[in-house]
Amino acid sequence: MRPEHWLYTIPLRLRSLFRRAQADQQLDDELRDHLERKTEEYVAKGMSPQEARRRVRLDLGGIEQTKEKCRGARRVNWIQDFVQDLHFSLRVLRKSPGFTTVAVLTLALGIGANTAIFTMTNGLMLHRLPVRDPGQLVELLHHYPDEPEPGFNGFSWDAYQAIRDGNHVFSDLIVGSMNFFSVRGDNLQPQTVFGGGVGGTFFQALGVRAAAGRLIGPEDAHMGYHAPVAVVSWSFWKSRFDLDPGVIGKKIVVGDTPVTIIGVAQHGFYGPSYEAQQDIWLPISLGPSPGWGFGLLARLKPRVSLEQARAEMAVVFQAVVNSPDADPFVRRMKLRIEPAGNGVTTPLSQMLSTPLTVLMATVGLLLLLACANLAGLLLARGASRQHEMAVRACLGAPRARLLRQTLTESLLLSLVGCVVGIFGAYFAAHALIRVFASGRFIMGAPVHFEALTNPDAHVLLFTLAIALLTGLLCGAAPAMSASKTEPGSALQQASRIGESKSRRLFGKGLVASQVALSLALMSSAGLFVEYLSHLRNLNLGFERNNLLLVTLDFAHSGYNAAQFSRLSQELVTRLDAIPGVSSATFSAMSPMEGPGAASFAFSEDHPEKRTQASINYVAPAYFETYGTPFLVGRDFSARDQTGSPVAIINETTARDCFGNENPIGRHITLSHITLTKGEKTYEVVGLVRDAKYNDLQQAAPPTIYPDLLQQGFIGSQHSQLAIRTRIDPGGVASAVRQTEAAVLNTVPIVRIMTMNEQIDSSIVPQRLIATLSAGFAALGALLAAIGLYGLLAYTVARRTHEIGVRVALGAAGTDVMRVVLRDALWMVCAGFAIGAPLAFWGKRIAASLIPDLPVAGPLPVVVAAAIMIAVGLIAAYLPARRAMRVDPMVALRYE
Amino acid sequence: MSKPADLVQGTLDMLLLKILALGPMNGFAVSQRLKQVSGDVLQVSDGSLYPALHKLEQEGWITAEWKTSEYGRRAKYYSLTRLGRGQLEKEADSWGRLSSAISRVIKLKET
Repeated sequence: MRPEHWLYTIPLRLRSLFRRAQADQQLDDELRDHLERKTEEYVAKGMSPQEARRRVRLDLGGIEQTKEKCRGARRVNWIQDFVQDLHFSLRVLRKSPGFTTVAVLTLALGIGANTAIFTMTNGLMLHRLPVRDPGQLVELLHHYPDEPEPGFNGFSWDAYQAIRDGNHVFSDLIVGSMNFFSVRGDNLQPQTVFGGGVGGTFFQALGVRAAAGRLIGPEDAHMGYHAPVAVVSWSFWKSRFDLDPGVIGKKIVVGDTPVTIIGVAQHGFYGPSYEAQQDIWLPISLGPSPGWGFGLLARLKPRVSLEQARAEMAVVFQAVVNSPDADPFVRRMKLRIEPAGNGVTTPLSQMLSTPLTVLMATVGLLLLLACANLAGLLLARGASRQHEMAVRACLGAPRARLLRQTLTESLLLSLVGCVVGIFGAYFAAHALIRVFASGRFIMGAPVHFEALTNPDAHVLLFTLAIALLTGLLCGAAPAMSASKTEPGSALQQASRIGESKSRRLFGKGLVASQVALSLALMSSAGLFVEYLSHLRNLNLGFERNNLLLVTLDFAHSGYNAAQFSRLSQELVTRLDAIPGVSSATFSAMSPMEGPGAASFAFSEDHPEKRTQASINYVAPAYFETYGTPFLVGRDFSARDQTGSPVAIINETTARDCFGNENPIGRHITLSHITLTKGEKTYEVVGLVRDAKYNDLQQAAPPTIYPDLLQQGFIGSQHSQLAIRTRIDPGGVASAVRQTEAAVLNTVPIVRIMTMNEQIDSSIVPQRLIATLSAGFAALGALLAAIGLYGLLAYTVARRTHEIGVRVALGAAGTDVMRVVLRDALWMVCAGFAIGAPLAFWGKRIAASLIPDLPVAGPLPVVVAAAIMIAVGLIAAYLPARRAMRVDPMVALRYE
Repeated sequence: MSKPADLVQGTLDMLLLKILALGPMNGFAVSQRLKQVSGDVLQVSDGSLYPALHKLEQEGWITAEWKTSEYGRRAKYYSLTRLGRGQLEKEADSWGRLSSAISRVIKLKET
């Protein structure tokens, strides 16, 4: 269209839109004028006035239809129509508040659940870091091939140099690590802040700008030197300094070093991980240092692929680990390169990625169920509005208009449900993340809650999309049937509308599909619940009940080794004396606390055969307290304190280091211990049964227990006190506190929990999946039951006349009831036919995602099927009873 | 008598535009004129006339004005616009080509 055409027609269209009432009046006037003129002409030709008036109306063919066609000629009609549809839908929905509430709640549940899970998925797995070109970022990890975790981002100085100098695939190599720093200052409370040590190119290479001051650059961190400066995050600036511009140049103390704050990072940047929030960055001096502590990120060159980078770096890394003086264990390391655009791998994202996938599938099924439910509801309502639709069709509404009207209703419902759902989802996501984080302290990082639960644009778009889809899906069937109204037949059989066969079948199909989905949900819930109980009843190698764990903080105790040894023994003696306590002991770690120290161990005879073992320093009576049996040998005793270093090992260690020989009296050497650099040799005095350590699902690792009191070990901050009780552990807690305070008065108690609580906190994701999927399954079953009940009740009501006839002809009440029950059972069985394969397929997928899932038996599916049949029968009971009680006389007169 | 219903919608538009090119008139007058000029051959049904007129107005080819007529009665008078004149020429051209092509085919000598 030419521009001037547009200019001319736009005012016309706008006028159509806004002055609709006036335009309508004019249309009316115009047609009336026409009728008058034509009447005059006929009269002039000799017709009688009445005849003439009748003829002109016949000629026109129907004033309303003509008006409608004229309105149709104005092409902005669809907006007017839409607004009209909206008004009407609102009125209709307001008139039936019960239906509207149920529908909105059903949809809110389905949509809200999906939004909540997607919010977390988006935050953890899909969200891009606020840096330049996140797609190019990769992180480097090293790992041992037989280890389950993805690996560790930490490299030695040699490795770093080799990677830096030997690569042709990276345009930038960024050094950065994640640490906790203790920070204090003038107006700053002493506090622990999570942050990072970064190389000079960190900020530049990531493309992060400063919100104030300047950021750490190459001049602050190079070979052998790091400037005493620091950069803080925007939220740190806001919460601790109130956005005071005077923060630049402020002096604070990090660790024991005074540093000056030189800048604030841009708003929204919290380091290379989205969920682990870094608040402070300090420069590190890039120089030779022991250990594998340099964390590496890199940017791929523009046309280099990840595969190319992996291939080249594998070779470079191989050369590093195969250097002549490398430890044999180091030689087994392999390099991994993973995309880091969504943030580097953190323990939280590892822990949650599988549960979130499972939950997304579950809530997806729930949404489908809700849709089927609502579609059934709308279909039933549509049947009762056939009369209305017929009248509309007679008045000239085109089919498309009827379709649009019905769709608008269902879209409106789903949009309202969407809004309600978003609110619910916000709180649900918060609660979920809090529960996840309440689990065992996730080593390495504080969880950045806002990041994970803030609905950003992606989430809102997703929610809107599923709301629209839901509305269309639910409304499609009723809309189709509304548009196919045959005005004639519909108006005649106003109340005794026989339903078309296809509509009946479709309604039944909807119920069957609800049953199928509910079956799938229930069987998967059964699976997870079974898994959880399996985890809870595992043989742990120690006795989990009646065990109280107390964490003590020795960091500022001021004790030396001898004092610690004496005081700890005194405490144990006094604890033993408390009524209800059977024994007490000390150790560095408790079994399910988390990963602890590890080291390479080898026996004197086979020094080349190195096993990676977990190390836990324990005091005498440890195994007695925990209930781990000795197989051979003895426990530590007071005599050992003055003797040569001794240790107790578990079965796996013995097998790995000594084969089938008796390990008692033999010697085992630990190397690369971080506490005592170098090697240390112990005499093995005892062999204990394997016990689970750190992870319930994995087999017990090789574990070595050196004597705690011998080492004078107060190295790490926390130590564990374990108390076995004869009574409920809670009962002795206060007595324990008092005793501890009396004996170790400079040592605060960090926390007290029972062993069962600790185990539970280590399996939070599994517990959550089990609980949530059970909850969703229950809701799904409820929805399916409501759907079934609704359809049966409706059918009975519609067929009351027919039932009356049957009864009048001699059918017994029980016959009628049997018909209804048979109907119900047919639908449930049809649902099984679809649902059972779905459930089995789901089981296989779940098994591939979660290792060790016990998928052997069909028990969950069978139990679910039984529940569904029971549910179906209950749902059918009331309508069946109503059908049975139909009085033929009343029914025959029923209109 | 060829009923206007047999005419393709585009042809009806063209005829209406031409009638209005003769001068501004209201809807009733347009249909009378058309009938008269074509010798009763082309008759637009009332139910098709007004939707067609409204469509032409929406396209901007005709414009409407409410005028008080000779008997003191208010009526809507349509007149052709400049755009409409251009559209009329275009359609008349293509109609001309179409009809001469059909004539040529019909006049072919059968052997």
